[in-house]
Amino acid sequence: MSDVIIEVKNFNAYYADKKAVKDANLKIEKNKITAIMGPSGCGKSTLLRSINRINDLVPEFRIEGEILFHDRNIYDRETDVYSLRRRIGMVFQRPTPFPMSIFDNIAYGLKLIGVTEKKEIKEKVRWSLEKAALWEEVKDELDKSALKLSGGQQQRLCIARAIAIEPEVILFDEPTSALDPVSTQKIEGLIEELAEEFTIIIVTHNIGQAARISDYTLFMYQGEIVEQNETTKILRNPTHEVTQQYLSGKIG
Amino acid sequence: MNENTNFSQEVTKRARKSNPVNKGMRSKVTLRVITYIFAALILSLFLLALIPGIRYWNLDFFTQAPSNGMTSGGIFPALLGSILLTLLSLAIAIPLGMLLGIVLSEYNLEYIRFVVTILSGIPSVVYGLFGLGLFCITLGMRTSILAGALTLALMVLPVISSSVYETMYAIPRELREAAYALGARKSEVIFEMLVPSVKRSILTVSFVAAGRAIGETAPLILTAAVFYATNLPTSLLSPVMTLPTHLYFLSASYGKNARWMAQGTTSVLILFVIVVYTIAFAFRREKK
Repeated sequence: MSDVIIEVKNFNAYYADKKAVKDANLKIEKNKITAIMGPSGCGKSTLLRSINRINDLVPEFRIEGEILFHDRNIYDRETDVYSLRRRIGMVFQRPTPFPMSIFDNIAYGLKLIGVTEKKEIKEKVRWSLEKAALWEEVKDELDKSALKLSGGQQQRLCIARAIAIEPEVILFDEPTSALDPVSTQKIEGLIEELAEEFTIIIVTHNIGQAARISDYTLFMYQGEIVEQNETTKILRNPTHEVTQQYLSGKIG
Repeated sequence: MNENTNFSQEVTKRARKSNPVNKGMRSKVTLRVITYIFAALILSLFLLALIPGIRYWNLDFFTQAPSNGMTSGGIFPALLGSILLTLLSLAIAIPLGMLLGIVLSEYNLEYIRFVVTILSGIPSVVYGLFGLGLFCITLGMRTSILAGALTLALMVLPVISSSVYETMYAIPRELREAAYALGARKSEVIFEMLVPSVKRSILTVSFVAAGRAIGETAPLILTAAVFYATNLPTSLLSPVMTLPTHLYFLSASYGKNARWMAQGTTSVLILFVIVVYTIAFAFRREKK
């Protein structure tokens, strides 16, 4: 691997006494799409949510080990978790538009990073909506409540909101599991395009999705990373029995 | 024997088949009738109290002070006093109630929430006595608009904060996480995302609180109101007349000759409450 942006080292995560991630080690390459796959409850979301430290908000969550972002441990005392989250964006399973206008949804994040000039905000709103392939659909109704958009549009708005503040990495936590097939297809296409500029880590339990869009795949089972490799290799020649079972639909 | 069992089974089967439908229909009709009866009762109560007073309304009624032992003139000082007290108490209670509601929802303060719930159940006269002791006597405000407004504010504070708490608490966790995921600090999540998204509810509860504050009588008798003020209030430390206390004094101490004024005042109060709640209701519906 040439350009490693994130490295997870001997990482364990717990909810109270329950171990959710066991001794995870992995490297994430820049501008690639890495899929984290596995049956529900395997710890894939926990691992993802540790990378931007959003799980810090969960009471009784604790970790051991390191996650390096540009070679610096994000769990260090000195880490500014707020600027970390600006550089590692996230899109959630269910669309999470704020109950405000489409425009304000994106402006919210921009104001957080200190963009105050109206013209600049307008430009960035447009830029991010275009990137998220939503501009054409909403350009005449930016003042409309974001809650009035369809589920797929809401999810694309959330993607626009995430990229507007120009993070380096975007984490996707099963971004299409609440959407219809057409919206799913759009978002998958979008994620592939975004990989040109951003590093992408996507949690999915959809094998087809991992196959369609990801460069690398990690397979997790019961908290452990069982296998990690280029997606095509994993799908063609899974070396571990559980991966084979998962891919053939015997577990899931 | 066998035939008998079969027969009775058949009967039960039929009963089971037909009964639920009948029952459903019957209970629907019953419910509807009960609803209509209650609606009619409430409506007639409103109308009986509202209609008779309206005929006394004219320009003088709203612009003059009462005169000749409450037998002529109008209710202007009481109207003014009520408006002042309501506005001032809301000006104090809305920001404080919002803050309290936000703190309750964003920080885990179970026991304070318990206290607030109890506070909202305390009879208003107790608030009046508390206000009398604290504001009028200890803090030296005497019988005044300020003392009354503070007492009213204390009374509606739990109403506002509970409602703000409920709406804030109902905002899904994912939404907070989404804001944090953009790098927001707690204050930026609260004041720039959560509060703007509940502002309509805050507006709604403000109107509900106004409806409650304007009708309060006992606490005002103890802290702010006089039965007759010769002058209009000149400062926040002046005593005032208010609509509900005026109504109380009229009914308790003046005879038949003042009855018209009591009726007119009642109508004003009821209309005010109707208007305020209609606005609150409209806001709530629009939100949905």
